[in-house]
Amino acid sequence: MIELQDVSKAYYLGQTPVPVLKQISLHIQKGEFVAIMGSSGSGKSTLLNIIGCLDTVDSGRYSLSGTAVSDVPEKSLAILRNRYLGFIFQSFNLIPRISAERNVELPMIYAGVDPDVRKNRMLAALDIVGLKDRAQHTSADLSGGQQQRVAIARAIVNDPDIIIADEPTGALDSRNSQEVMRLFQQLNASGKTIVMVTHEDDIARYAHRVLIVDDGSIVNL
Amino acid sequence: MIHAGIYKDVMAQAFHALRDNKLRTVLSILGIAIGISAVMIVGAITKGINDYIYKELNTYGLKSVWIYRDWDNDDPNRVIRQGSGIDNDDYNIITSHKCCPAIKRATAVVYSRENIMPVRAGNHFFNASIEGVDVDYTEINNDQLKAGRNFRKDDIVRRKTVAIISPKAAKNLYGSANPIGKTFRFSNKKFQIIGLLAEKNRDLLNQIGADSYDVNGRILIPYTSYQTYFGVKDIHTVQAEAYELERTEEALQQLNAMLQRTHNYKYKYKQESMQGWMDTADQVLASISLVGLLGAGISLLIGGMNIMNIMSTTVVERTREIGIRKALGAQNSDILFQFLMEAITVSAIGGIIGLSMGIVITYLVAWFSGFPLSPSWLMAFIAVAVSVVVGLISGFYPAHRAARLKPVEALRYG
Repeated sequence: MIELQDVSKAYYLGQTPVPVLKQISLHIQKGEFVAIMGSSGSGKSTLLNIIGCLDTVDSGRYSLSGTAVSDVPEKSLAILRNRYLGFIFQSFNLIPRISAERNVELPMIYAGVDPDVRKNRMLAALDIVGLKDRAQHTSADLSGGQQQRVAIARAIVNDPDIIIADEPTGALDSRNSQEVMRLFQQLNASGKTIVMVTHEDDIARYAHRVLIVDDGSIVNL
Repeated sequence: MIHAGIYKDVMAQAFHALRDNKLRTVLSILGIAIGISAVMIVGAITKGINDYIYKELNTYGLKSVWIYRDWDNDDPNRVIRQGSGIDNDDYNIITSHKCCPAIKRATAVVYSRENIMPVRAGNHFFNASIEGVDVDYTEINNDQLKAGRNFRKDDIVRRKTVAIISPKAAKNLYGSANPIGKTFRFSNKKFQIIGLLAEKNRDLLNQIGADSYDVNGRILIPYTSYQTYFGVKDIHTVQAEAYELERTEEALQQLNAMLQRTHNYKYKYKQESMQGWMDTADQVLASISLVGLLGAGISLLIGGMNIMNIMSTTVVERTREIGIRKALGAQNSDILFQFLMEAITVSAIGGIIGLSMGIVITYLVAWFSGFPLSPSWLMAFIAVAVSVVVGLISGFYPAHRAARLKPVEALRYG
């Protein structure tokens, strides 16, 4: 499903390259629930962004569901993100001003789904996260936990294979964190592959496998 | 590829964004609105003046041409060669369509050296411009009959002493009484009135000195009667109507050629048409439009720059949103389209407000000046189209910048 082969990535401080990922090789099977941990600056977020097709590799190969992502031009990555990936962020990242239902509809709009179908799928997704009755609310009227659940509905509405979660509980209290993790387990049980960055041990415990990234490399436990 | 479903989303976003940035949005909208209303007003005024001038020019018939002897030329035999150079035989050739295929119809115009002559009805006198004309005169000159009838062929052939008079003459001779059937005396000959002309307006042309002739002081009689009773043999002027506006020059050339031939090149003729007047009017109108549209253009330019400014600010403020949209699968073209639509929405709202302002101001100006103005719908259409294009142009750079943002960097923003 997810296969990285000698992937490297560097950022530039002026002319000086600062390596972030050093020849990482990684294999994640379909249906796995993987947590990525590491100190800040270790490269875990960059790794997640590359897996999520938000960033590109400098060298090495990345293939996703058989597609050689490293050969795909940057502007076509949007199609991969739209079809195969659902994103969940630490700060929820709902688009302000527009309602929960409009937020959940967006991935389908970009996928070109018919309006009638959109409405049904949007309601189904909000039902899964238990917020069907809050469809009309904007993020200003929703609690943090509710916002993150709307974001989860938005991430799964296009029925992606993989959920990419960047510190999904980082901004939530423990009760809401557990609720989100319960949803993750449920999604994983229904066959979704989940790749999650976290720095909390008790959150990482929900995953089947934990990868530790340190100074741009994966540490074998 | 742009996803069609994005449109509703984009419109909602646009209105939200505008509501969140009231002051600067209002300023941009105002800039566009002023520009567009200026376009509308300039359009209406130019059209109003155009209609007004052409209405006056039309009192001669736009397709009219005139030919008459050129008395001013340097012909050494000018005095010896008597007469007007146009006789009834020439005129018959013209009216029987034996010459001049560009001419649809014609009328003789016979008049005296002294332009204005006194006529009398009872104790009332009036200094009239008496003209001897043919049946088609009134139609060629776009003269309307307010009462009575036009001349008939019979009136001309039998040299009847009948007349069609203009309203001013009627008022002076008969007061408010119906002049039809009444008589007046002209040089001791008695004429009976068969028709009353409608008033004609040449105020503007009279004011600018283009025409000193009092069109409302005319009395028309059959040209044959004029010739018979006042000792005239010739025809002074032939006024003809070309089939089309573009053929007036051709008509004059044909008339001139025919007259030269029949008179063995003895005379020189003056040839006139409305073309010169129309050219002058068009030039004046073009200058007015140019000045007005220049002002409107500057206003639109400022409005467009305002839009570019607010859109650039909006793109920066919404960098994170752009990142989110890209993560959800928005392609560059989707983002470009969204911000372009927002710019166009601001501009089009300005355009519609400007359009309404333009219409209201046009009617206000018309009301206060008493000058007949009405908004041109063509201008309205152009104005809205222009506002959309302004939005498109000024929105393009910020939208393009938004579309090219890298998702990782955009998501990290703020």
